[in-house]
Amino acid sequence: MSDAAATLTQDRQKLEMAALSAPAVIFTVAMIAFPVVYTIWLGFQTFSSTGKQSFAGLANYAKLISDYEFWNGLWITIALFVLSLALQLVFGVWLALVLFHAKRLPGIVRSLFISPFMMPPVVAGMMWLVILDPSLGAANYILQSFGLPPSDWLASPTWVIPTVALIDSWQWTPYVALIVLGGLQSLPPSVYEAAQIDGASPFKTFQRITLPLLLPTIVTAAILRSVDLLRFFDIIYITTQGGPGNASNTLNIYGFRVGFEFFNIGYASALMLTLTAIVFGAVLAFNRLRGAVAW
Amino acid sequence: MKARMLATHVALPVLAIAVSAQAQAADFDWMKFKGKTVTFLANNNPVSQALLTYKADFEKLTGMTLKVDGYQEQQMRQRLVTVMNANSDEVDVFMTLPSREGEQFSAAGWYGDLTAMAKNDVAKDYDPAGLSQALLKAATFSGKLTSMPMNLEGPIFYYRTDIFRKCGIEAPKTIKDVEAAAEKIKACDSTVTPFVSRGLKPAIAYTFSNMLHNVGGSYIAGGKSNLCSAKGKEALDTYSRLLRDFGPPGVVNYSFQQISALYRSGRAAMAFESSNELRTVMEGGARLKDTGLLPFPAGDAGQVPTTIGWGMAVSSHSKQPDAAWYFVQWATSPEVQKKMALQGIAPPRPSVANDPEYRKWIDEEPVRKEWQAALDVFATKGSSEVGYPIVANPQSREFIGQAVQDLILKQKTVDQACADADKALDALIALN
Repeated sequence: MSDAAATLTQDRQKLEMAALSAPAVIFTVAMIAFPVVYTIWLGFQTFSSTGKQSFAGLANYAKLISDYEFWNGLWITIALFVLSLALQLVFGVWLALVLFHAKRLPGIVRSLFISPFMMPPVVAGMMWLVILDPSLGAANYILQSFGLPPSDWLASPTWVIPTVALIDSWQWTPYVALIVLGGLQSLPPSVYEAAQIDGASPFKTFQRITLPLLLPTIVTAAILRSVDLLRFFDIIYITTQGGPGNASNTLNIYGFRVGFEFFNIGYASALMLTLTAIVFGAVLAFNRLRGAVAW
Repeated sequence: MKARMLATHVALPVLAIAVSAQAQAADFDWMKFKGKTVTFLANNNPVSQALLTYKADFEKLTGMTLKVDGYQEQQMRQRLVTVMNANSDEVDVFMTLPSREGEQFSAAGWYGDLTAMAKNDVAKDYDPAGLSQALLKAATFSGKLTSMPMNLEGPIFYYRTDIFRKCGIEAPKTIKDVEAAAEKIKACDSTVTPFVSRGLKPAIAYTFSNMLHNVGGSYIAGGKSNLCSAKGKEALDTYSRLLRDFGPPGVVNYSFQQISALYRSGRAAMAFESSNELRTVMEGGARLKDTGLLPFPAGDAGQVPTTIGWGMAVSSHSKQPDAAWYFVQWATSPEVQKKMALQGIAPPRPSVANDPEYRKWIDEEPVRKEWQAALDVFATKGSSEVGYPIVANPQSREFIGQAVQDLILKQKTVDQACADADKALDALIALN
């Protein structure tokens, strides 16, 4: 076969492959693109309480600037994000180290520790709602058994965000730990052997070797958790619905209520697109950080 | 003001429906739409659960298939908003609360008009005039009948007769008596919560409205929000004080689930919660013999209990509204409502409420008798105004709840809370 004929056959094969995969590609792109494009379009519309729709231009985005609930929601979203992420990274690394060094029944210990994140968030939310009930819940009973004062937990405007962060951390710290555990298992043993020969203490080994080498893995875990944390919804919806007052009214909860309870789908779309931009921004920032700490 | 006082008569339109219905009944054929499938978007609450026990009966009677799309209340509304905004015919029949979303859904054009169907296409024994006229009126917007009532409900006052007896307290007759009782119980038995009601922001309007109406207040006066009137402030102050001083810790997160659980466990002496919760509260039987039930005690305006009911509406986008109407008609017929009543769903038909078999069931337990007596008061004196009677009613409930929570949490004075709420609510009213 001549070169020209071979090229022609190859081109034809490529064309056939493209034609065969086209329906799946088109379907996948449409499924991803349509909701995004539709939401962007909705963000330029305004809906009255009766569902009447009209073009609003950038009015929905202009409204964000003067909307107290938007800024309040943004602040709560960021506070929850920072607090939860910090807790999950710190305890995730600690848990990974414990699991890494677990000598007895490592399979059972790992299964036990990872069980919370296998639980549906709605079930976790309901469970913690019962445990933290200030009147009937086990949490205050335990506190009082030790002579400590009871807490209002989710019913306190001051404590609601730390409490929600604790619930989320209870559920997702094991997930971070699993990722970090994978990183720990891939670290080169020769570095540790050298440190041992040099007489480095366990703390120094952790501080100077383990942590720097684990940083790319930790940042990866941070990226994965950031996306979820900035979109935080289910546990808050189950436990407080944004209350007390607006103390846990994250942007996601606020957008949901504006859209599905007050029927202003246009403004809700603008809120959600703004949140999406924030999530993208955070992911980009973490990606840069990952590039900086890669080894 | 568009308050829908249930005692108001609407005899003429209902009478017209009844007379016309008799003329049409002879031609009625339940099998007319045999082979069709009707989709029902249901709120997965005790009312639909009781109804759907008899789903097979409907399918046997009509030869139709009933496809049930069931969700929890809020998720059901999300589904409905999505379907209706897309002008989709996926839903034929949906459950609705006229007191909450009636104005809004009606203005959006989501309700099919049932007026003609209820007049021209009814079975002999349907008896549309036998349905609560007040609830039919509450479901009529701009002259269109938008839904048929499924049940009758409202917040009811549960109290522990044994604790009242132990502490030497009579059953309260007025709101002041409730406060005095709470004070005495607090001193007499420190192990129980004296009073509990709804403190969760979006849920507050349901119980607060009863307090507001009992003291003689109104949500709107002269086209403006009226929470800062003397009566409005009295209602805000009293409701929040009862919860703050005598309620359980964390009451700002309390809705019906928490209230029922607290009362059922014996840890609350008084609870103001939905009449629908009777079955839940009585589960296990611990409260069966020590509970008294009353409409909420009177204020300066007497007793104006909040009275609402779930309704069944036909979607304006349904491609088979006639077949959908057959399902609505069957579900709200005297026969089915009697069966539901025997499962503890308060009937919206006086004829069912007086049915000997239902009465026998009621007479089996004193607590059921008191429950029915309270429901009789609801039917005659009730108001279906829960939150502001405006299109943006769901949003208005947010601001009412916010004002009450601000007071429970001592974040504002009554004057500040009502002024902030009135300002936000005036803006909503202006959009109406």
